[in-house]
Formats: sequence, C-alpha cells, structure tokens
Amino acid sequence: MILDSLKLDGKVAIITGAGRGLGRAMAVKLAEAGADIVAAARTQSQLEETADAVKKTGRKCLIVPTDVTVSAQVNALAATTVKQFGKIDILVNNAGGGDGARGVQLPEITDDQWRRGIDTNLSSQFYGCRAVIPQMVKQNRGKIINIASGFALRGGKHNFMYACAKGGTIQLTRSMALSYAQFNIQTNCIVPGVFPHNEQTMQFYKGGKFIPVGRVGEDSELGPLAVFLASDASNHVNGELIAIDGGGLAGGIAPTGVSPESSN
Amino acid sequence: MASSNASKDFSLEGKSVLVVGAEHSVGRAAAITLAEAGAKIVLASQEPGTDKQLKEVARLVNAAGTKAVIRVQDAAMRADISATADLAARELGGLHILVNALDTPAYGPAEADDDTAFDKIMENNLKTVWMSCQEGARVMLRQGGGAIVNITSVLAERGVANAALYCAAKAAVLNLTRALALEWARKGIRVNAIEAGWLDDESSPANKGDEFSKTLLKYLPDNRLVKPEELGGALLYLVSPAAGFVTGESIAVDGGLRARV
Repeated sequence: MILDSLKLDGKVAIITGAGRGLGRAMAVKLAEAGADIVAAARTQSQLEETADAVKKTGRKCLIVPTDVTVSAQVNALAATTVKQFGKIDILVNNAGGGDGARGVQLPEITDDQWRRGIDTNLSSQFYGCRAVIPQMVKQNRGKIINIASGFALRGGKHNFMYACAKGGTIQLTRSMALSYAQFNIQTNCIVPGVFPHNEQTMQFYKGGKFIPVGRVGEDSELGPLAVFLASDASNHVNGELIAIDGGGLAGGIAPTGVSPESSN
Repeated sequence: MASSNASKDFSLEGKSVLVVGAEHSVGRAAAITLAEAGAKIVLASQEPGTDKQLKEVARLVNAAGTKAVIRVQDAAMRADISATADLAARELGGLHILVNALDTPAYGPAEADDDTAFDKIMENNLKTVWMSCQEGARVMLRQGGGAIVNITSVLAERGVANAALYCAAKAAVLNLTRALALEWARKGIRVNAIEAGWLDDESSPANKGDEFSKTLLKYLPDNRLVKPEELGGALLYLVSPAAGFVTGESIAVDGGLRARV
C-alpha cells in the first residue's frame, strides 16, 4: 500500500542545520511522518526550539550541538545517535549556507574564505556520509539526503565557494549512490530553489517575480520531498537530484515572464 | 505509539485522475498506486482492442476502494484523446491529474528505419503524449489547474545503440515536459516527468535472458531491473499537493543507473 510506504514510524533521522529554516521544517515533517529526530546545529537555543516543535508531533527529539565543519564532532553525532537509538535510518545533510564572500571579486577572496565555504557546504556533507555509513552498512539499510542548491547546476556571478561546493554535493551524492547501492543504502539530493529566510533575500528575488510559477518556496513545502526520499516509497530512486524550485531549472534560456513572439 | 500522518500530505482523496496507456504495465501500476492513495480514475488505453486488459485494471482499482471508468481508445487519434479528457471531467467531476504512460518500445538498426518507421515511432511515443497534454490541459485550464506527469525513460538523457528514434522520442517527451511546465506555470498546471530505468515488464528488452539482458544486469548498480510498481512513489509525490512547488522536473527511478552514466 503506497501510503504506508511513505510512513517513517520507528525510524531515526539525523538532520544537520536543524536549528532553523529548511532544516527545522524537514525535522518537523519527518517527525510528523513518524521518525524520531536527532537535531544537530551549532546553536543550542535554536535546537531547543526545533525540539519543541518536533515533540509536539509526539516524536522524540535528541539535541546534539555540532559544528559540521569539524569531522570529530560529526563522528560524535553519529556515535551519540547509535548509542541513544541503536541505529541510524536517515541522514539529512542540510547544514550549509552563504560563505560570507558572495559578491567578493575573485582576487579578493582569501584562502581562508575559500576553505571556509567549501568546508561549510561540502566537507560537512562528506563528513556526514562518512560518519553514518558503517552503521548503515551494518543495518543493510539507509537513506541519505544531501541538500544542494540551484547553484549546484548553474554558475553564479562572483559566487565561487557556494557554487563549487554545491556542485560537489551532486557528485558526492552520485558516488555515494553507486558505492552503496548494494547495501540497500540510497543517497539522493534535493535541489531547493528560492526559499527566502529574510526580507533582504525576498527583495533580492523580487518576491518570486522571476520564478516561473511566480512565487518563492515556503519552508514547509520541502518537508514532503524529504519524507519521500527518506521512505520506502523511494527505494529504487538512487543518486538522483530532485529540484523543488517552481520551474526554475526547467528554463533559464530566456528571462521569465517573456517569450518569443508567435511565428507566422 | 501515535500513528504518523504521512498520508495527509500524499492523499489523493477526492481527486480525479486520467491514466492514458493503462493497459500496459506502467500505466496499470500507476493507476493502482494512485487508486491506493484515494483517487478516482479513468483508465484510457493506448490502443483499441484492449477492453479485457482495462477491465482487469478496473477490477484492481475497485479493489483498492475507488471508482474506475474504462475508456477504450486510440491515443494516436486526436478526437479520441479529446473526448477522453471531456469524459474524465464529466464522469469524475473534474480532471486534477493526468498521467501519460504512453510507450511503444522500438529497437532496430538505424540504417533499416524508413520514413514510415520514423512517423510511427514519433507518433506512438511523442505525438500521443503531446496531444494528451494539450487535451488534458484544455480541461485543467478551464477548472483552474492540475498536475501532469509524463512517464519517459532514462533514454531521454542518454543514447543507446539500436534505438535512435526511440531515444529521440523519449528525449523529446522530457523537454516537452519542461517547456509546457514553463508555459503553464502561472496557470496552475504543473508538468513533470518520470524517467524509468530498464524495466522488468512484457515489452522490455532487458529481461529476455539473452546476452544483452545478462550483461546489463551485471552493469546495473543494484543488479536488478525496475518493477513498474516501483515508479509509484515518485509518481504519487509528483501529482500530490505536497509537490506544489515542483514543476518542469523529472525524477529517475533507475536504482542509481543515471548516477553512473
């Protein structure tokens, strides 16, 4: 029965970057679908808010303050999860974000800014995969979801670290998929479009005027896609990227909102 | 333990679906999946003379607890496709979801294909999908929106020898999907695709036990073919309200094959 295959009852899911935004939204939605949550992020107070939201669904939420750019902390996150719950069914590598150097001209980017951007957005996901895979192999079962970005597939002007790291996310996803397909571990990638978390971003994207559907995404809309990819309903989907972007990546060859005149 | 409410996001209770190509394995599996999620379904054939197959699918849809209407038609006939879209709206009170499971595999050496082969392969694999999208959208635009899923193949993005025209048609369906998604993005119709990997069904060239089948199995990341019902999860996600911000996208259900190629 298809709806039963989308349930996550009895599953344990680690979500990084779970203190806010898309990470929190996915944590809550995975919990609504039945999973217990291990919420990781740097800021304890934000994790506590996520835990409150998760617990309202009736599921457990374990908070593990983690800096995902430090591999020892990511290893500890996996170990703590196994100690507490005895298994890891789902890992959502969500933590990441702007590197603080977007818009900076290339000659001005420091080595440290480059490493920081790659570490935050790509190394963190590599550390996550590496930390959970022994347990998932032992279980002969697992679901890994990496969060990328439209910049994984398209370049951005003066957007170096973020675009390069997110592009790496896709290749990490594919290599994970092929390396662990035979262990019944599926690794897939969500490619979110524009999901603004502040007024500045909302204004930058003009409220979604240039997105084909004419609006931006809402955090809550990402949750069901994470549920699908974390569930048995996606057991034969592996190494795949799924864009949730209001049609953005389907086009782009011409500006949104205009089209060529009809031919005679 | 409290029961989860995953079914809330993915339920198709009260939705009306048209599955075109329901006599074949993929369409049959699609119809059953969507029926299990609560949808009422018009089962339309790709070809005439398929009453018996459609009746069997209708029985399975009914067994899942919903209504099925049978429509034997030729999906290459504009008048048939048009009337089917209207029938769905009339019989089921609307047309919310259209699934085009239209497929006629065609393998053979390129140098042997004449112009008739070109027309036939393009008609069966592309023109039918195009007309079905047009006629489905005609009804959906009138009622303010809907969701369309075109089921194509991983061959849409990669070539294979001995299938030039088939590959071309499958690629065309994928980009047709993207273009229609953009065209109807602000009119409430989402258009997405599923790319099926090598299938285990009656028309597959991959389960024949021949050299190709044997070599392919070893090559696949998880060493097995895709069962038609395994497309169901991606299909349900794409047509459900949960995917309201997803359009012009395709999901490969191929066990990781495309990650390699």
